[in-house]
Amino acid sequence: MSHAKYNVINTHVHNIDGVAKVTGRATYTFDVTLPGMLYGKILRSPHPHAKIKNIDATAALALPGVKIVVTGKDTLGIKQGIWRRYEELCDEQVLPLEKVRYIGEPVAAVAAVTEEIAEAALDLIEVDYEVLPAVYEPLEAIKKEAPTIHEGVERNVNVTRHIEWGDVDEAFDEADYIREDWFKCSGQAHMCMETRAAMSNFTPDGKLTCWASTQSAYYTQGLLAGVLGLREGDVRVLAPYVGGGFGGKFELDAAMFCSAVMSMKLFKPVKVVFTREEDFIASKRRTPMFYYVRTGIKKDGTFCARESRMFSNGGAYTGMGATALYLSGFFHSFPYKWRGYRYDGYRVYTNTLPSTSMRGFGAPQAMFCSEQQIDWICADLGLDPFEVRRKNGHTEGYEVPGQAFIASCGLKQCIDEIEKWVKAKGELPANRGIGISSCGFMSGGIFNWFDSPYSFSSAVVTINVDGTVELHVGCQDIGQGSNTTMAIIAAETLGVKMEDIRVHSGDTAHCPADLGAWGSRQTLMAGNAVKMACEDAKKQLLEFAYAEMGINIVYDLDIKDRWVHIVARPERGLPYVDLVKKALRAKDGQRIMGRGYYTPHRKGMISPAYSYMMQAVDAEVDPETGKITIHEVMTAHDCGQPINQLGLIGQLEGAASMALGYAYLEDMPMEDGKLMNPNLVDYKVIKAPQMPEAGIIEIDTYEPEGPYGAKEAGEGLTNPTAAALGNAIYNAMGIQMKELPITPERILKALREKKEQEAQK
Amino acid sequence: MINDFHYLKPASLKEALAMYAEHDDCKVICGGQSLLIVMRQGMVTPEYLLDIKHVKELSYIKFEEKDGLRIGAATTHREIEKSDIIEKKYPVLVAMEEKLASIQTRNWGTIGGNIAHADPAGDPGPVLIALNAEIKFGNSSGETTVPLDEFFVDYFETKMEHGDLALEIHVPTPEPKFGCAYQKFNLLDSDMGIVAAAASVTLNADGTCKAARIVLGNAGPIPLRVTKAEDLLKGKKLDDALFAEAGKIASEDCEPVADIHASEEHRRHVLGVLTKRMLKKAFEQAQKAA
Ligand SMILES: Cc1cc2nc3c(=O)[nH]c(=O)nc-3n(C[C@H](O)[C@H](O)[C@H](O)COP(=O)(O)OP(=O)(O)OC[C@H]3O[C@@H](n4cnc5c(N)ncnc54)[C@H](O)[C@@H]3O)c2cc1C
Repeated sequence: MSHAKYNVINTHVHNIDGVAKVTGRATYTFDVTLPGMLYGKILRSPHPHAKIKNIDATAALALPGVKIVVTGKDTLGIKQGIWRRYEELCDEQVLPLEKVRYIGEPVAAVAAVTEEIAEAALDLIEVDYEVLPAVYEPLEAIKKEAPTIHEGVERNVNVTRHIEWGDVDEAFDEADYIREDWFKCSGQAHMCMETRAAMSNFTPDGKLTCWASTQSAYYTQGLLAGVLGLREGDVRVLAPYVGGGFGGKFELDAAMFCSAVMSMKLFKPVKVVFTREEDFIASKRRTPMFYYVRTGIKKDGTFCARESRMFSNGGAYTGMGATALYLSGFFHSFPYKWRGYRYDGYRVYTNTLPSTSMRGFGAPQAMFCSEQQIDWICADLGLDPFEVRRKNGHTEGYEVPGQAFIASCGLKQCIDEIEKWVKAKGELPANRGIGISSCGFMSGGIFNWFDSPYSFSSAVVTINVDGTVELHVGCQDIGQGSNTTMAIIAAETLGVKMEDIRVHSGDTAHCPADLGAWGSRQTLMAGNAVKMACEDAKKQLLEFAYAEMGINIVYDLDIKDRWVHIVARPERGLPYVDLVKKALRAKDGQRIMGRGYYTPHRKGMISPAYSYMMQAVDAEVDPETGKITIHEVMTAHDCGQPINQLGLIGQLEGAASMALGYAYLEDMPMEDGKLMNPNLVDYKVIKAPQMPEAGIIEIDTYEPEGPYGAKEAGEGLTNPTAAALGNAIYNAMGIQMKELPITPERILKALREKKEQEAQK
Repeated sequence: MINDFHYLKPASLKEALAMYAEHDDCKVICGGQSLLIVMRQGMVTPEYLLDIKHVKELSYIKFEEKDGLRIGAATTHREIEKSDIIEKKYPVLVAMEEKLASIQTRNWGTIGGNIAHADPAGDPGPVLIALNAEIKFGNSSGETTVPLDEFFVDYFETKMEHGDLALEIHVPTPEPKFGCAYQKFNLLDSDMGIVAAAASVTLNADGTCKAARIVLGNAGPIPLRVTKAEDLLKGKKLDDALFAEAGKIASEDCEPVADIHASEEHRRHVLGVLTKRMLKKAFEQAQKAA
């Protein structure tokens, strides 16, 4: 669609909170201080699996400065979970009463007048454990003889998910070639710059205020109220600035819970901030997955059927894992048309750090397997990987049977663009290759396991006498720039300037409920709510404009750049500010207020809209050491109409760095359930100077369900990269990498095996 | 959390040495880039911190053709990296510094702190030993100079004792027909090395090898000389086969320890590859050198 018609959308707009952040003025939860506040610390389990027989806090309480020690016994003992609708998936007591199920699980919390005293007190709490046998890998935990992690859960299977369409067996019969592979995908830490943190303040009026580092103030409000026995309305959650989430911060965490419990007992503010180590060992992670993938294809490259089985390491609790299980299986089919598709996912409990959602929500793992196998099949059959992807790819108007309707799809253009880019690079030197990978992602989930009676997104806009605009949204800015995106949509819709908009977010007392920042939902869902609210307010203004200007009602009126005018004769009009003043008087002083909301309907099972992309990674391997050098990443990307131009670039680069990290650097190795690298020396993330060039080609499409045609951008971009790197290495060296991360040792091992195989021939 | 401590800020080297002699439970802090990490982890909890970062007498870079290069212990990595004379005379040092941590760390961290810290994964140690460097250290009653090769004793342990400050690194002027190269193996540029190798080669006028040094990083408790391979090269006309042979010896004679970043086997293998490559690089430099 033409970009020129917009004044604000897709222009060079800076993040509206950029100055506050770079000058250190932004107040994160960590920065909140209140008079009389106490510092909380959490005692954590050293055992992967153990009964808590007794906890003796006498010595800790005797330490001067210690105000309280709480254990599970001081709580309501409610088993909670974010899948609130499903009791069996609410399996986590944040301070457990009976047993611990992973190393790092909270067992007690202390509040004291200083952080040092609170920490010293931890050493004085005596916990009597009875150590139980533990199990760490899903394929072990699912065995009959494995220890039981949750009573009554057979074979430790936490959730299963079956997805099927078409006649799978018949479709396999039609295939000329069938390939099967096993893959192993690792975990990954969310690695937010801001660790989990909360400051709770319970006051004698029976109300709790909690500053929290959360992706959804509304979820936090609901979850806290649930475990504390309070009414939702008596819990106010504030999250004005959040230092990253990446899928790890929309459940209840121990910082929120322990600070709230202690504050309620003491009527004092209590702050709990995780150390980096705590954040690593006890704040959930990307789900490690084993994938078995069987794919049938015709000689001409037509896809017939796919059948996959997946076993994921769920760790000790459900978290968001049930959603990741579904989405992994769904996106494993993407972005292709299968005559028959079958997926069986098993999420298995183990005595490890729980796994959960993380940027890409199970899709990066699924794509690592799928997109590599497709390249290998192409090589097996002598087919062109671009052509095969084009031939089988989703197209506009396609329906994923029983699951999804694709209203906009730029996949083919993405493939064309990347093919051009790759071909332009020409012949590459030895040991260097380019790999491609395509995928798609959702623009928000049509999921309501939280059982929210509110619409998924809401917005309220009010217009002040001077024309400035107060925009209240429940969507959560966690650094991804949603406040800026919402301001852009508001400014465009109302016809005002960016500086006219003030965004209020991250406060459940003043902002309407919204499910928050997850599943790439906010631009589409909150964006629609904001657009609707602004259209509502604008309509009220224009009603007065018709009367004021005394014009024929067949004329259309609009506002652009603070100028209210007849669309056909833009010079005829009046200043927006004058109109606002007049409208106020005419309305007996009532402020102009617009309301908007959005809940997806009739959009299938998964999402109202899907982004598409193809990515290429140009990489080189040192054949002697196995070291990988990434030269460049290029992505052709269909996110519908881009709204926030700079934000989009930031998301793309951030996603590329996170996904490259997942592909060849980041790993969470454990020994007997203990994480071996819970620090930033040993856990490897790509830093800014180490980032390769990561370019973007925007594909122009229009999504009818999205605000101004927009859909997802940012999360889906983590999906293709590991596979693209794998394919680059395959093209460079002829080796197939079936395990993440792709390390030098794994590369050398594969090279050795290849040599041996060739020698045998 | 970092424990509370008394902070000592001497105005001169003399005062620093006196203060150090006076206080028993005292740790020296210079850039703090290594010390603060172990203090934060609670592994080091001194009662006194003696800050020598501002002692001017310890911060200098001097070069004289006859004497060679002298670097004060409190000179930062960044100052070494940006020094024109070092770039000209000892380019391998600049190349090493450019890949040592981030600019922020190089702005604070010092060469003396790095060597005193004696982390076998540190970059300067192997390169300086390959360059035949020596180190001067001293206390309130005197100074000692030893070849850097003899300075390291064990993991995080040197010949220095309580009261000793590292004072100066001295690198002799390279002989004619000399080359030196260093590379560390890591997954991300500028990260700590998983393993590393430095090599230097001096050629005779007839092109045969006069002397060679091979020093491995993170291949044992201290920077490790591979003398057996050095001896192999001496007197010979160097070629790829010899470099490969030296690499093989290096991979056998090292003592690397496995951790999550690499197995022992992989470390040995890569040490062999790096040794071979660095020897070749040093040799080619030596051939071109005056
Ligand atoms: C993020 C990060 C990455 C790093 N990456 C690398 C890398 O890639 N390669 C590498 O080699 N190093 C690396 N380092 C380590 C660091 O560069 C050096 O160890 C550092 O420069 C030490 O110097 P300092 O002045 O900061 O020493 P400090 O931390 O102040 O002191 C270190 C130790 O030396 C002692 N000490 C300091 N100065 C003296 C002196 N003059 N006499 C006697 N004892 C003294 C101290 O008591 C202490 O025990 C890294 C460090 C960080 C934080």
